[in-house]
Amino acid sequence: MINLSGISKVYDNGCVALSDVTVDIPKGDFVFVVGPSGAGKSTFIKLIFREELPTTGKLIVNGRDVGELQPSEVPYLRRNLGIVFQDYRLLPDKTVYENVAFAMQVIEASEREIKRRVIQVLDLVGLRHKAKSCPCELSGGEQQRIAIARAIVNSPVVVIADEPTGNLDPETSWEIMKIFNRINKGGTTIVMVTHDKTVVDAMKKRVIAVEKGKIVRDEVKGVYGYEN
Amino acid sequence: MKIRTFEYFIKEAVGSLKRNRLMSLASVSTVALSLLILGMFLVMVLNLNNMASNLESQVQISVYLNEGLSDMEIREVGTRITKLAGVNQVIFINKEEALNRFKQRLGEQQSILKALDGNNPLPNAFEVKMDKPEGVKPVAQAIAQFKGVENAKFGQEVVEQLFALTKMVRIFGVVLIGFLALAALFIISNTIRLTVFARRKEIGIMKYVGATDWFIRWPFLIEGMILGFGGALVAVVLLNQLYGALIQQVYESLAFLPLIPQYPFITTISIVLMLVGTLIGALGSNISLRKFMQV
Repeated sequence: MINLSGISKVYDNGCVALSDVTVDIPKGDFVFVVGPSGAGKSTFIKLIFREELPTTGKLIVNGRDVGELQPSEVPYLRRNLGIVFQDYRLLPDKTVYENVAFAMQVIEASEREIKRRVIQVLDLVGLRHKAKSCPCELSGGEQQRIAIARAIVNSPVVVIADEPTGNLDPETSWEIMKIFNRINKGGTTIVMVTHDKTVVDAMKKRVIAVEKGKIVRDEVKGVYGYEN
Repeated sequence: MKIRTFEYFIKEAVGSLKRNRLMSLASVSTVALSLLILGMFLVMVLNLNNMASNLESQVQISVYLNEGLSDMEIREVGTRITKLAGVNQVIFINKEEALNRFKQRLGEQQSILKALDGNNPLPNAFEVKMDKPEGVKPVAQAIAQFKGVENAKFGQEVVEQLFALTKMVRIFGVVLIGFLALAALFIISNTIRLTVFARRKEIGIMKYVGATDWFIRWPFLIEGMILGFGGALVAVVLLNQLYGALIQQVYESLAFLPLIPQYPFITTISIVLMLVGTLIGALGSNISLRKFMQV
C-alpha cells in the first residue's frame, strides 16, 4: 500500500529530515511511527499525503508514484487518504454533520450518498446524536471523533493520523484508539505518529521508530521504547 | 460542473461578500469609478470621431469676403467661383443674414449678442457646394487666392483639428484608464486576499480531503467577478443617466452639435463596460489566488 525506497528529504534550509529510508507498509497494516521530537516522523507522513516531496528515492502510495504526480493529480491521491490531526481542524461555523459532509461535498458526491455515508460514519464514531451540534459544544475527544469521521467518510484506503491523542486524557485516548482499531478491522491501513507510550504498548501493533531521519527499529508487535 | 456544485460556489461567494461588506463596497466603488471614467472617455472619443466623419463628408466651403467690397466686386468673386470645376452651387450670405443665422444657433443664449453693442462683426460670405468631397481642398485653396476674399474655410480643417483633439483625449484617456484599472485590480485582489485569509483553514481542509484547485478557486473567482460586474453595473447606470442628460441639454441649446443618439450607442458601451468589469474582477481574484492559496 505504501512503499518507501531510499527516501531522503532535505529541506531548503539544509535540514535533513529523512535519510535513505526504506519501508513497506502493506494493505490493512496498523503502524505506529514513534521517535523523539524532530526525528522526522511528521515529514514521514507529510511525504505520504504529498504535502512534501522527497528529495531522493521512490515513494509509492496506493499504486501511485507520489514523486511523479502532477500537482493536478494530488487531489485524487488524497481522496484515497484520510488525514487526522492533533488539533482536529474542524470548521467552527459548521455543524458536526456539515463538517463531515463537507469532505464529500468537495469531491462532488451526490446529496443522497452524502446523507447515507455521514450518518454511517457518525454511527461508527458513536456521535450520530450530536449531528446538529456545533463543534464548540463538544469535548476534545468528541471533536477528534468527528475529525476521524470526516477522515473516513470518503472510504479511504489509508488513514494517516498525526498525534491524534496528543490533546486528550488517557481514557478518551483509549476510546479514540478503539475507533481506529475498528476502522483497521474493516481493511483500512492506519499510519499513526504518536508520543503516547500507553497506547502503543497496549495496542501491540507494528512500531516503526525514527531517530535523526533514519528508521532505527521496525517491530511487528512493538512497544513504544522511549521514556515519556 | 454539477448544478449543485455551482450553487455551492455561488453560496460561498455571496456569503463571503456579506462577511467583507466594507471591502466589497470599496471594491465595487473603485471599479464603478474606473469604469465610469472609461465609459466617459469612450463616449467622448466616439462622439468626436463621429463629428469628424460628419464634417469630412460635407462638401461645402465657406468663403468669407473682405470688408468694404462693392456689390460689383462681390458679384465678380461669385462669378469666378461658379466657373471653377466641381462647383455645384454658390449662395451669397450677406452680413445681416449671417447674423440672423448666428442668432438662431445661439438659441437661449441670446445674451451673448448684447456684448456686440448692436455691431455686426460677421463678414459677407459665399456658401460653395461641391460635387464631390475630393474637390473641396483644391477649390478652397484657389478661392482663397481671389482678390477680395479674406479666407475660404472647409470642413477638412475642422476635421483635422477634431482628429488631433480626439488623439489627445485618447492618449490621456488610455493613461488614466490604465491607472484606474490597476487601482481596481489592486483593491479587488486585496478583497479576495482577505477572503482567502479568512477561509485559509477551510481551504487547508479542502486540500487535505482531495478538493481540486479549481473547486477551491471557483468561489473566489465568482466573488471577484460579482465585484467587477457590480461596479460595472453602477457605472453603466450613471453613464446612461449622464449621457441622457447631456443629449437633452445639447438638443435644447446646442442643437447643431451632431451627438450620437443615446440608443443603441450607450447599450453597446454598457455591454463593453460590463465585460471589462467582470474581467477585471476575475483577474484581480486570480492575482490573489496565485499569491495566497499555497495552503
